[in-house]
Amino acid sequence: MASQSQVLVEDKSSVRILTLNRPKQMNALCSNMITRLLQLFLAYEEDPNVKLVILKGQGRAFCAGGDVRPVVGDIVQGKWRLGADFFSDQYSLNYVMATYSKVQISILNGIVMGGGAGVSIHGRFRIATEKTVFAMPETALGLFPDVGASYFLSRLPGFFGEYVGLTGARLDGAEILACGLATHFVPSTRLTALEEDLCRVGSSDPVTFAETILNAYTQHPHLKQHSAYHRLHVIDRCFSRKTVEEIISTLEKEAIEEPNEWISATIRALEKASPSSLKISLRSIREGRYQGVGQCLIREFRMVCHVMKGEISKDLVEGYRAVVIEKDKNPKWEPRGLEEMKDNMVEQYFKRMDEEKGWEDLKLPPRKALPSSIISKL
Amino acid sequence: MSENRALQRAHILANHILRSPPPLPSNLSLAREVCLQYSPPELSESFGGFDAKEMRRLLDGHNTEDRDWLYGLMMQSNLFNRKERGGKLFVSPDYNQTMEQQREITMRRIWYLLEKGVYRGWLTDSGPEAELRKLALLEVCGIYDHSLSIKLGVHFFLWGNAVKFFGTKRHHEKWLKNTEDYVVKGCFAMTELGHGSNVRGIETVTTYDPRTGEFVINTPCESAQKYWIGGAAKHATHTIVFSQLDINGTNQGVHAFIAQIRDEDGNICPNIRIADCGHKIGLNGVDNGRIWFDNLRIPRENLLNSVADVSPDGEYVSAIKDPDQRFGAFMAPLTSGRVTIASSAIYSAKVGLAIALRYSLSRRAFSVKANGPEVLLLDYPSHQRRLLPLLAKTYAMSFAANDLKMIYVKRTPETNKAIHVVSSGLKAVLTWHNMRTLQECREAVGGQGVKTENLVGQLKGEFDVQTTFEGDNNVLMQQVSKALFAEYVSCKKRNKPFKGLRLEHMNSARPVLPTQLSSSTLRCSQFQKNVFCLRERDLLERFTSEVAQLQGRGESRESSFLVNHELAEDLGKAFTEKAILQTVLDAEAKLPTGSLKDVLGLVRSMYALISIEEDPSFLRYGYLSRDNVGDVRREVSKLCGELRPHALALVTSFGIPDAFLGPIAFNWVEANAWSSV
Repeated sequence: MASQSQVLVEDKSSVRILTLNRPKQMNALCSNMITRLLQLFLAYEEDPNVKLVILKGQGRAFCAGGDVRPVVGDIVQGKWRLGADFFSDQYSLNYVMATYSKVQISILNGIVMGGGAGVSIHGRFRIATEKTVFAMPETALGLFPDVGASYFLSRLPGFFGEYVGLTGARLDGAEILACGLATHFVPSTRLTALEEDLCRVGSSDPVTFAETILNAYTQHPHLKQHSAYHRLHVIDRCFSRKTVEEIISTLEKEAIEEPNEWISATIRALEKASPSSLKISLRSIREGRYQGVGQCLIREFRMVCHVMKGEISKDLVEGYRAVVIEKDKNPKWEPRGLEEMKDNMVEQYFKRMDEEKGWEDLKLPPRKALPSSIISKL
Repeated sequence: MSENRALQRAHILANHILRSPPPLPSNLSLAREVCLQYSPPELSESFGGFDAKEMRRLLDGHNTEDRDWLYGLMMQSNLFNRKERGGKLFVSPDYNQTMEQQREITMRRIWYLLEKGVYRGWLTDSGPEAELRKLALLEVCGIYDHSLSIKLGVHFFLWGNAVKFFGTKRHHEKWLKNTEDYVVKGCFAMTELGHGSNVRGIETVTTYDPRTGEFVINTPCESAQKYWIGGAAKHATHTIVFSQLDINGTNQGVHAFIAQIRDEDGNICPNIRIADCGHKIGLNGVDNGRIWFDNLRIPRENLLNSVADVSPDGEYVSAIKDPDQRFGAFMAPLTSGRVTIASSAIYSAKVGLAIALRYSLSRRAFSVKANGPEVLLLDYPSHQRRLLPLLAKTYAMSFAANDLKMIYVKRTPETNKAIHVVSSGLKAVLTWHNMRTLQECREAVGGQGVKTENLVGQLKGEFDVQTTFEGDNNVLMQQVSKALFAEYVSCKKRNKPFKGLRLEHMNSARPVLPTQLSSSTLRCSQFQKNVFCLRERDLLERFTSEVAQLQGRGESRESSFLVNHELAEDLGKAFTEKAILQTVLDAEAKLPTGSLKDVLGLVRSMYALISIEEDPSFLRYGYLSRDNVGDVRREVSKLCGELRPHALALVTSFGIPDAFLGPIAFNWVEANAWSSV
């Protein structure tokens, strides 16, 4: 029962503590873990004895993302449709969490990347610590920020979401608290005590209860001196531009006027990332601004299917090779430059795959009592 | 039954007076009644009909992504007054601010958008693509706040375009880039206290002083003060001045000049007096002012000289000898104002309808059956009849506004006359439609409509002036009829077929309408076209023959027009409504068979039939019989029922982000809960 031991379950009266337990792979989500989480979350929602669900990770990571190794394998063997099932399950889990009627508390004590953000940020409470390292590194892998990231990134202050999503910038605990990705900050030494207190939830309203406890533990850390969050003004000026090309040229202008390490690193990150990824990511975040989380996931599913099928670009396989397998960190992107990635090519990624036999849009699990705030139009 | 209810009611009232708790009827359970709950219409309404995203592309017509980019810029900035209601983000101006605050924040929003590159190329780029981008972005600004789009419109479309179109190279080099970068802030002084639509009658006078090579501008009397000049009261540094040009005692007619009115620090320049127009019923983010000129001297080069010039020694030169034609050449570029007004009116109607229809899909009132659930507002046929025809009209006019923009951006000297006529008619009809729609929407959402945060009521004040500025609607409609008259007379005189002004249908035989109108006939596009063409044709013939008769009796042409104002009005409306119908038919024809085309067909039939239902001309002049109009009315009601299931998808297709609608469009229970007080 590998899947069971990959997600540890602790029963503490009305609280369930789930621990992602694949420490050697930094708790990367494999398809068994996703299925198991989905099963558990749905069951807890129905179980009147469960009030709080705590999600954390074993070891130095909360969760480093979705485990795409098998997906890339499938793609290489020409069976990308198997990969589509993986993403369909993962996005369904993201959706259930985003629309969860009970309280999910995620303890982000370590690395939180990509799919790791997808299983935490959509929940009610997210606890950062001094060990948190958050990033959406997909554009460097030939993918795009998925798992509902086009929903939550687009709702960050100003154009910080575009910055985080396009550059893959790493944020620490103080930064994710400041921008709203985390709701609380608790030093890691106090986590055990926090968990114990949370387990004392009695018959009181779980949201108020959790909020009271968390407020008592939370701290207000200072942003480090060179934090990107101090540069929101520059980020807004540059990342609000309509196209990736304009974003880069505005950054370059800023860099000439006021050169600094942060801005050069930002430009470098964009120059290293996959051009096709950058363009579809920007468009995805921009569209996410007007969509509900469900619609975001449906769109992202269309996009990820196009990425896997690779009609326009095979950057996912190439990125995976360069970053994970051969680790030469020198991917050969195709299309090679931003100017080669034309608008009509970007457009393709957002279309349904009606020509693909048996392909269907992501079918979101039905939810009752859907809060209206997560429903949007179009 | 009713007796019981009356008793019950009396009982409750009595208890109110006696302040004792009402006795519980024995058949009621003691459990607490479930409170009203908001249920998002998305949960209950079918969305399977057609692709809303495709429909949105069709309606917006162009630059969809640019629009979304700008919506995003506004939603992400605190300058746009972000607030949360019922768990959702909204952006809309705070109309409770003082006039001064509204003016300042509007200006700050303009700076913010400037910094983001929104106005890039608005004056320095040319060609249809650049113009369409500009129009799309201006429309989005107007959806956020009419003051914002008007303040931008004055600066770019009135001041900027006047420099661009009336000026020559020297003006372009000096002003266009600086205007685009807001180094100068322009305004446009045309209207005077005593003269509005009649520009030729303005009284401001400019003379030329050859000794110094300067023009001297004067406001000779109080009625000559410039009035309603947007931007003049606070922010503008420069203005276009429209004035009579007097050269050696000869009046050369109205000309346009550039004058500086404030220095860089915002101080009013010498020989200029400026007063505020004061608080208005809407548009308080725009600083309208009044200007007087006291012997203001400006360099000779400041005459915008594309049409006429004055040489250094004071000689008047113009390539156009006829002062009438000269005046026409001056006015031609002003069409852009009517184009933007027409399309912004439609976006305003879209905001109103999206709010009112979304509310009507979540608010219930009265039960039809005793103890039955209360009925959703939009399930009342009367409520459908109030809103759905206006929805169909808004759709139809949306296509017409797009069509107008297209012919405008592709304009040539040959199309100027047609653009003038079509834009006049559409500006009037679309702005009237917006005012009527907003009023209906305000009433349809009940008391919630009077809260400014719910927008529909406030928008009435904000958009009201559209029926007046850039040409009073009634005057514009008369101009349409006069132009049609002139075209008719000229074709008949030269014995040439009609060509232009969309009168080509008059070259073929007068259409014959069937006596019996079945449902399928009424929905047939050819029939609808025939009815509209027949009305236009007949009214034009009547109008020309009435005018000719009066002229035959020695009346002047002008006074013959005046006497026949009723026919002129009917004709203007017939022309414009037919033009609108044609644009829907064109859009429909381009679509492949499918659900989108089907629903657009329903919308088009609703537009055609409600227009017939609402215009007494069809009965008055006997194009339709009493039986016919009865059939039309029945069909309208049938169409209401058929459009009802598409209502949500149809307003969703407007593509206006949730944040730009009012809280009552969403969870109005939560938005008003005690916890969010």
